[in-house]
Amino acid sequence: MKNLLQKSLKQLTIFAFIVFALSVPSYFFLVDWIWLKELDENNELIAQRIENEFNEQNISDVELAESIRFWNEIQPVSRIEYVQQPLARDSRYTIRRQNPYTTGEAIDRFRGLKTNIKINNRNYVLVIETNVEETEETVVYIAVVTLLFFLILVVGFWVLNRRLSKKLWQPFQDTLEKLKSFQLNSQEQIKFQKTDTIEFAELNATLDKLLQHSVVIYRNQKEFTENASHELQTPLAILKNKVDILLQSDDLTERQYHIAEEMNKALIRISRINKNLLLLAKIENNQFDNSELIGFDILLLQCMDDLQEHIKEKEIDVSSDIHSNVEVKGNRSLIEALINNLLINAIRHTSQRKSIRITLSKSGFKIANSGKEALNPDLLFRRFSRMSADNSGSGLGLSIVQEICRLQSWTVQYSFENNRHTFLVRF
Amino acid sequence: MKILIIEDEKELVKSIVEYLSKEDYLCEVALTFTEAMYKIDMFDYDCILLDITLPGGSGLKILEELKKKNKQDGVIIISAKNSLDDKVKGLQIGADDYLTKPFHLSELNARIYSIIRRKQYSNTNIIKLNELEINLLSKNVFVNNEVVALTKKEFNLLIYFIGNKNRVLSKSTLAEHLSGDFADMFDNYDFVYAHVKNLKRKLSNAGYEQHIKTVYGTGYKWEE
Repeated sequence: MKNLLQKSLKQLTIFAFIVFALSVPSYFFLVDWIWLKELDENNELIAQRIENEFNEQNISDVELAESIRFWNEIQPVSRIEYVQQPLARDSRYTIRRQNPYTTGEAIDRFRGLKTNIKINNRNYVLVIETNVEETEETVVYIAVVTLLFFLILVVGFWVLNRRLSKKLWQPFQDTLEKLKSFQLNSQEQIKFQKTDTIEFAELNATLDKLLQHSVVIYRNQKEFTENASHELQTPLAILKNKVDILLQSDDLTERQYHIAEEMNKALIRISRINKNLLLLAKIENNQFDNSELIGFDILLLQCMDDLQEHIKEKEIDVSSDIHSNVEVKGNRSLIEALINNLLINAIRHTSQRKSIRITLSKSGFKIANSGKEALNPDLLFRRFSRMSADNSGSGLGLSIVQEICRLQSWTVQYSFENNRHTFLVRF
Repeated sequence: MKILIIEDEKELVKSIVEYLSKEDYLCEVALTFTEAMYKIDMFDYDCILLDITLPGGSGLKILEELKKKNKQDGVIIISAKNSLDDKVKGLQIGADDYLTKPFHLSELNARIYSIIRRKQYSNTNIIKLNELEINLLSKNVFVNNEVVALTKKEFNLLIYFIGNKNRVLSKSTLAEHLSGDFADMFDNYDFVYAHVKNLKRKLSNAGYEQHIKTVYGTGYKWEE
């Protein structure tokens, strides 16, 4: 993954490279063209000067022939030759040949001019050749300079990019950080940083609206659960009491008694579910004092003792490794609920004569019970998502465990190791 | 014995009155805060059942008023608010017990029984039933002055039976009483059967006449 500016940097660098690469031949042709044009002008000037100089000498033809011979001897780059007929027109050319003035192998490029001159009214052809810079050398110089500028540009981009991504994107990073740490059930308001970038301001405003909406919906839903379970308590109490009275009737048949007892059982379950829903709502609303110092080990032993008869009844082999003086800060009844829910869960789902292992240390609390196959950890902690055919529980036990852990800033994890369902609470 | 029921839910009041009238209790009812304040001011009761949320004011205020007037009435808070703060606060102000709705009438009955005994025999805290003697404070049980060793749960059961004499107590009701919050978390209520069996055995071994009868196959009754 690359960040946004890095991505654009790559594109820009490629584009810049292409432009610079194309500029090299363009510059070369331009420079070469200027070179040749200037040299042609220069050659013409020299030709005029030679013509004038010779004419101004006013010497005889014999002397002239001698002078030209001598001239040609000492100036091989500008030869003068006598011709009967003048050239139809001047010619300009470029040749490569050995430089007569340098020793060793040195092929140079020359620009030549072949033109007619008149000395003492006789026609001569003058050839002037001037050294021109080599093509290869020009190309290399231009390429080196271009590359240098290209490197300056890329380094500049890179440096600017780093500074920009820090500065320009800072509000965005801030928003991102806040969104990452936001939790719908934490009751905390999210406050975005003020920014003068239109895009970010718009983003923040939209996110804010979205979040507010979610918070309101979440709160309504929570309130509904809480209110509903609260309102249910009185009718439940009435029902329960009416069944109690029914059970006391003198003329009750055994069949009627059993029907009433089944109603009673169902009512106990509804009451339990209702109570747990209320408990969940209260934990979510942070309505518990969380500052008491509690001996986790003592509480755990107490809970184990309370459940002893159920353990005995199923002949479950319980082994435990409980460190003493494990103190935690929290709410006594919630910690008790957490321990009880996990213990009861283990006892209920352990078959006859199987085993449960309980481990407590300063870093965490682990409870593992024998089982056959792994359960889906995503569904396990969800409300009312039962994992087994046995549905006598309220279906809320593990949700409550999870909520209590959230409140305590602990984590609870499920794993299936060595044929054991293992729940680990990390303090 | 006089009992005042301060509760705004009429159906609930009706059931409580009906259940309690079988005992030797005289029940009076206050449906509102003002009515309750008037009644506690005018009369004395052996036990007051007090709802916290009332039309016109909080039940906790009534409790404060009782304590201010230094009244000796026993008070059981019956509240739909299962909030621990309320429970702690209520008991701190001076309530004797706290029951969360919904509750079983037998549970309420047993608690009223205990409170009235405690108030009546506050210096001894001993319940006597023929040869049976129960010390509520030390939690010891004697038959013909000999100690009967009962477990915590068996003792608990015995008190519950005695507080609900001649009442049918179903297995699920007893299970809820014994296990409190997690009675329904287990598949069966067989542990109730085991506890009742043990209690019966221990009492008859000590030479006490058998009062616990099985009714309708799965229920129990302390007959006297």
